[in-house]
Amino acid sequence: MPKVTINGTEIEVDKGKSILRAAAEAGYDVPHFCYHPALSAPANCRMCLVEIEGVPKLQPGCYSQINDGMVVHTESERVVKARKAVLEFILLNHPVDCPICDQAGECKLQDYYIDYDAQESRVRTEKQNKVKAYPIGPEVVYDGERCILCTRCIRFCQEVTQTDELTIVERGDRAEIRAFPGRELDNNYSMCTVDICPVGALTARDFRFKCRVWLLTSTDSVCTGCSNGCNIHLDHFRNEVQRYRPRYNPEVNDYWMCDEGRLSYKSVHTDRQTEPKVNGATVNWHALAQAVADKLGKVEDPSQIALVISPQATCEDIFLAKRFGEETLGGVQFYLGGKLSGDSDEFLIKADKNPNTRGIEAVFGGTDSLKSFDDLLADMESGAISVLYMSGTDTPCDAETRERFVGLLDGLKLFLHQSPHAGEFADKAHIILPSCTHAEKDGTFINFDGVAQPIYQAFAGYGRSIPDWQIFLRLARAMKKPFDYTFLTQIQEEMFAASQAPEPEPEPEPEAGDDESSAPPPAE
Amino acid sequence: MEELFLSRNFKIENGHTLPVYESGGGYQRLKKALNMDSATIIDEVKKSNLRGRGGAGFPTGVKWGFMPKESELPKYLTVNADEGEPGTFKDRYIMELDPHLLIEGCIITAWTLGLRYGYIYVRGELQFAIRRLEAAIKEAYAKGYLGQKIQGKDFDFDLYVHPSGGAYICGEETGMIEGLEGKPGQPRMKPPFPAVVGAFNAPTLVNNVETIAAIPWIIERGGEWWASMGIEKNGGPKLYGLSGHIKKPGVYEAPSGVSVRELLEDYGGGMLDGSDLKGYIPGGSSCRVMLPDTLDALMGFESMREAGSSLGTGCITFMDHTTCMVRIAGRLAHFYHHESCGQCTPCREGSGWATKVLDQIENGNGRMEDLDLLLDICDNIEGNTICALGDSISIPVRSYVELFTQEFEDHIRRKGCPFPAWSLRSSASTRAEAVAGAE
Repeated sequence: MPKVTINGTEIEVDKGKSILRAAAEAGYDVPHFCYHPALSAPANCRMCLVEIEGVPKLQPGCYSQINDGMVVHTESERVVKARKAVLEFILLNHPVDCPICDQAGECKLQDYYIDYDAQESRVRTEKQNKVKAYPIGPEVVYDGERCILCTRCIRFCQEVTQTDELTIVERGDRAEIRAFPGRELDNNYSMCTVDICPVGALTARDFRFKCRVWLLTSTDSVCTGCSNGCNIHLDHFRNEVQRYRPRYNPEVNDYWMCDEGRLSYKSVHTDRQTEPKVNGATVNWHALAQAVADKLGKVEDPSQIALVISPQATCEDIFLAKRFGEETLGGVQFYLGGKLSGDSDEFLIKADKNPNTRGIEAVFGGTDSLKSFDDLLADMESGAISVLYMSGTDTPCDAETRERFVGLLDGLKLFLHQSPHAGEFADKAHIILPSCTHAEKDGTFINFDGVAQPIYQAFAGYGRSIPDWQIFLRLARAMKKPFDYTFLTQIQEEMFAASQAPEPEPEPEPEAGDDESSAPPPAE
Repeated sequence: MEELFLSRNFKIENGHTLPVYESGGGYQRLKKALNMDSATIIDEVKKSNLRGRGGAGFPTGVKWGFMPKESELPKYLTVNADEGEPGTFKDRYIMELDPHLLIEGCIITAWTLGLRYGYIYVRGELQFAIRRLEAAIKEAYAKGYLGQKIQGKDFDFDLYVHPSGGAYICGEETGMIEGLEGKPGQPRMKPPFPAVVGAFNAPTLVNNVETIAAIPWIIERGGEWWASMGIEKNGGPKLYGLSGHIKKPGVYEAPSGVSVRELLEDYGGGMLDGSDLKGYIPGGSSCRVMLPDTLDALMGFESMREAGSSLGTGCITFMDHTTCMVRIAGRLAHFYHHESCGQCTPCREGSGWATKVLDQIENGNGRMEDLDLLLDICDNIEGNTICALGDSISIPVRSYVELFTQEFEDHIRRKGCPFPAWSLRSSASTRAEAVAGAE
């Protein structure tokens, strides 16, 4: 392997690596705007200029490849001066409107100004005026004055989505980013351009002016929009999810996620049921568990009980639901719930809109022991099922069938609804068991590819909602057949031993220089 | 010069047509070249000391040697005719008045290096040149000089005229290739050089119009003969475009290495009556401005560098004592600011900044620290950009500030331009109006 000396440190790096990556391996951060590890390197921002011994001009670290025996300086006087100059040039026509800019706090220009420039302005001339708050796409807003023309967004649309919506119009310091005539930045991944924009030029319509980023706390989680299970930073403030950001995972989603998944955070805060209820009366969990135990205990034939398992739930929830149905109640019928399949593409969006279908397969050892939702309807119609214990509000069927299903609920002797959301079931359910969304609990999802991924609790459950697994623990205790668990980790240990659920692997650390968008904002 | 080569047909009636061109020995050189092998021709070009005439002065024979012999993709010839630098106007004369010389040069070059397609990338504003070239190419096709099986040889070559969209930056070789491919003219990072990855990802030779136009003569009379008309390392006759406050502005052919004084006095007829030479730009506006005491400098790449500037395109602009050097610097900065492609930061932002500071000084709002600021801006642009356009603004601006510091300081002290002609702050819309007002 070629050897290079970077700032006096001799290291061996792979052939063909850029100086910027090699320097990162040697422990030196080379500042950069236009370079992104997942995109090509146009070397246009000139921020990463480094000095190579024997080469008269400074060279861009992102573009120049290492050669054996190369001696590179990333902190020499010349480099520092050039860096300072580039920052001064970039700030020349930059509005410096940080107090009203959404990017402030996670802005590379801010960071680098503090790190490398931090001098008084020498500019007495007027700044260029460009377009402000330009709707470049349905989800993204463009600010021409803040734009430093690094072309990351253009290259994203060329190289990642291959939809080619964006280009630069005009030239020189009049240049701006625009969609081609008759087009707009409207693809399934358009909001990724907001993530990769190093400054506040591209902002998400959804997140604009919503929250200062330094107030956000970031929790590692997984998007529940589909079975791809894109890794996310779940950014929240005061027990409210403010946004999702993709989290780097080369095995699953790289640096990206789709717009639909990104905006799926809204479901955490809509249509929530927060109070345990028995026949419409709000009770506490203890009373509710007693009531459930009482009612379920009276069911003579457990095969009359239908337990609908939702692939929206975590593996731990499913594992306990299975044990609750098989051991506590004994011999209930399991049915498969979840969402109907939808659109897919060849990149990240999968047709299966449930994050944990593979989790059910792992816990149940396949889906043969689960009956389909159509079977449930048939069994309810025939009267074979008189007690329905349903988790989740989703039904894998079209609107017409769902209407029929809701109608059939009236004929049930007992309908227990365990879900974070109310759906149409709030009035129909005899017993409401409010559970937590994925943002409010720990757990494990297994994505379509069989990758087990942990999710972590961001904030406490809404109202009096508790995680599904705790509900099952309470119910089992009330039925005098308690499980021997106190903590989730105990369940996990047993689950991984008992089932085919693969244990989550430790998160891959971003490779040196790959830190893009994986850095969480500072904690509260 | 007694015998003209590059400008031989300029003053002959219908010199741009094929019959007239052929009657002067035209396309005989092609026939001769078709019987020579590639190595011999490259050798002759090397011996000729022909240097790239677009301004950089890279030895043409060496550049030809870089072209790979074998290539999976068809190799391209691109002739850089995007002549747009202020003060430079030599290539258009060849294209307008002797297009067949260029075409013959293209065919010989293609034969030598095995190039399949040729593009003459002409500046969009030169509509007349484009029409003349297209007509000439049509004539050449009809006579079998272009197309397939040229002159019965196993040699196919197609030549096209590609009008530029009209951007100075497309005169930069990789910017030109981007433009040729239909993209915005934004220069590429080098390496890879065009000889390896050029137009349409294929090996591409990029040469200036005047360089290619010299090839037929080198074939006819040999490399050594060409080299003899010049000085060391600078071979052959060259076109010099003279402009400014001189009696006979125009394009003149003279040997390489002629002195500036000779060009001014023998060819340009001297300065206008009552005009004193204040400074001159030796080879297009991106060169350093020079003072009258360097008039004896020889027009060669090395000699001009020693004299403190560069040969560039060899088109000289002479400026007399009525010229405001601050205004000239500002005007040039405006040009480069306007033409900066906007791709990389130092040039995009620095060109605008320098322009605004120069305007400020010219308009009477300057401060003494602005001079240091200007030099610092130039320092920060120079060498830090993707292509040479960044240098093209910093090099001249620096030279004006350094050589005419007194004049800049006068502007700042007097809070305005001491020259009584049209200025940027004037409300007069034309120079004539302003002059009339001043009188």
